[in-house]
Amino acid sequence: MSDLIVKDISVSYGPKIVVDSFSHTFEEGKIHAVMGPNGCGKTTLIKKIVEQYSGKGQIAYVPQETFGNIALSVYDVVGLGRYDKSRFFTGLTSNDKDLVGKAISDMELQGLESRIYDTLSGGEKQRTMIARALAQDTPWTILDEPSSSLDVRHTVLTMKILDRLCREEGKSFIVVLHDINTAASFADSFILMKDGKKVDASSSLTGEVLSSVFESHFEKVLTTDGKSFFYPSL
Amino acid sequence: MRQHKDTFYLKLLVAVIATMVAVAASCCLGSSGVTMRDVISYITGHRDELSASTVTIIGKIRIPRTITAALCGGALASVGCVMQGVFKNPMADPSVLGISSGSALGAAIAIVSGLNIVIIGQGFTGSYIGAVIGAAVTWMLVFTIARGSGEYDTSSTLLAGIAISSIMSALITVLMTLHMESMERVYLWMLGTFSGSTVTKTYVLFFVVAVCFPLLVWVSPRIDVLKLGREAAASLGVSQSRTLGLVLCLSSVLLAFCVANSGIIGFVGLIIPHIVTFFRVYKARQKLIICFFTGAVFMVVCDCVAKTVVAPGEMAIGAVTSLIGAPYFLWLLISTRITSRRRGIRV
Repeated sequence: MSDLIVKDISVSYGPKIVVDSFSHTFEEGKIHAVMGPNGCGKTTLIKKIVEQYSGKGQIAYVPQETFGNIALSVYDVVGLGRYDKSRFFTGLTSNDKDLVGKAISDMELQGLESRIYDTLSGGEKQRTMIARALAQDTPWTILDEPSSSLDVRHTVLTMKILDRLCREEGKSFIVVLHDINTAASFADSFILMKDGKKVDASSSLTGEVLSSVFESHFEKVLTTDGKSFFYPSL
Repeated sequence: MRQHKDTFYLKLLVAVIATMVAVAASCCLGSSGVTMRDVISYITGHRDELSASTVTIIGKIRIPRTITAALCGGALASVGCVMQGVFKNPMADPSVLGISSGSALGAAIAIVSGLNIVIIGQGFTGSYIGAVIGAAVTWMLVFTIARGSGEYDTSSTLLAGIAISSIMSALITVLMTLHMESMERVYLWMLGTFSGSTVTKTYVLFFVVAVCFPLLVWVSPRIDVLKLGREAAASLGVSQSRTLGLVLCLSSVLLAFCVANSGIIGFVGLIIPHIVTFFRVYKARQKLIICFFTGAVFMVVCDCVAKTVVAPGEMAIGAVTSLIGAPYFLWLLISTRITSRRRGIRV
C-alpha cells in the first residue's frame, strides 16, 4: 500500500454534521498527527477511515476507549492481532509468535504476558492494545489518543517505537494526539481539524494556526537543540 | 504461555472423562430395579441374557434420557457461554433472547388447546411441536426488530430479546389464568423434566447439536476479536453484525430444541460459563468446548438427583440445577476471594 487517500468523507448524526467533506492524502512512511479541539470529529473521521480500509490487511486500529470485560491473558490479546492470518487448526505460526513477542517487548509488557487483561491498570491496558495493533504488522496503523492513560515515560516510549518503525520498516501512522508538544516532537505532518473540517495540513506547526484552531493563544519557544515547543498563555 | 495450551487439553480430557462417568452412572440409576451389571451386558451386546422389560428400560428410557440430559446441559451451557461473550455481559444467559419464553408459550398453547396428544408417534407431543414453532416465531420477531437499523447491534438485540421475552412470559400468565384447568400441566412442563425423553427425540436433538455446536466452535474465536471493539475487529476482517447474526441464529436453534425436549431449565446457561472461568479457561473457543462438557456433566448429575431422591416420584430438574449449582458456585466465589486475598490479588 502506498499513500492513504481519503476522499470526501462526511458523517452526520441526525442534523449534526460531525465530519464535513474531509479529503486528504496521507503520505506513506510518515507519522501524521491529527489534532483539534474536543468534539471536532477526529475520532469519527478515523473510525470512518478504518471502516473504508478494513478487512484488507492494510490498517490496524487502536481505539480511544480501553474496553473492559476481556478475560484473556495479555499474550492472547496481543495474539488476536494475528487473527486474520491464523488458521483454524494450526493457530499461531512461528512467524506470528515472533511478531507477537516483538510487539510485547516493544511495549515493555514482558512479565505481564500471563496476566488477565481486566486486572491491568489503564496504562497497561492501553499498551496491550497498542502491542496488539503492532502485532498486526500492517503498513498503516491508526491510533486514537494512544497516550491518554500513559505516563510520560511510556508516552515517549510509544512515540519512539512508532518513530523507529517508521524510519526502519517504512511503516506509516496516523495518530490522534491532544498533547501538542508530543505531536510537535514526533510527527512529520500535522492535520488540524475544527468543526468537522480540515483547517490546516502542513509539515510544521505555527503558533498562529494553533491559536486559531484551539481558540487560545500559543507561544512558540525554541529549545537549544533547535526543537520548537508551544505553550498556551492564559 | 505454552503451558496455557497444554493445560487446556488436560482440562478437556478431565471434562470428557467426567462426562463419560456421569453418563454411565446415570444409565445405572433409576426407580426400577435395573442393576449396573444389566447395563454392562446391554452395552457389551449380551442382550439375550436380559429380560425383555430390562432391555426396554435400558434402551428406551435410561439411555435416551441420559443422552438428552447431557446434550441439553451441554447446549445450554454453550449458548450461555457465547451469549455472555457476544453481549460482553456476564449476566447474559440463554433466556435473554426470548427464545425460551417463546417456546414455552408455544408449548402452553398446545397444552391448553388440548393438542398435547402424541402426534407423530415416538413421543412427539403437541407441546414439543408447539415449543419449536414458538421458538421460530419469537426468533423472527426478535431478529426483525433487532435488524431494524440495518445491522445487528449488541445492545438493540439484547433489549429486543428482553422485551419480547417479557411479552411472552406475560402471555403465558394470561393463558394460564384463562385456563385454570390446564394450569398445573403448563406449570409442570415449564419446570422442566427429562422424563419424556424418547429414542427419536434424542436422535433429533443429537442431530441438531451435532450440526450447531461445531459451527459455534468454528465461529467462536471471532467473539474474542469483537471484544476489541467494532472498528478494530473490522480491521482484522471480523464483522460484528455478521458474527452476531450467526452466533444468535445457531444459539436459537439449539435453545429451541432444548426447551422442546425438557422445558425451561434455568441457571445452567448463566452459571456454567462462570464456573469454567474458575478453571482458568479464558479463550472463547476453549471456554466453549469446556463449557459444553461441564454443562453435560452438571445436567446429568442433576438429573440423577431429580430421578432418585424422591423416587418413584420426580423432582423438577430446574429446582435441582439451582439447588446443587448455586451453592457450588457460591463456594467457588468465596474460596477464590479468600485465596486471592491471601495472595494479595484483587479479582
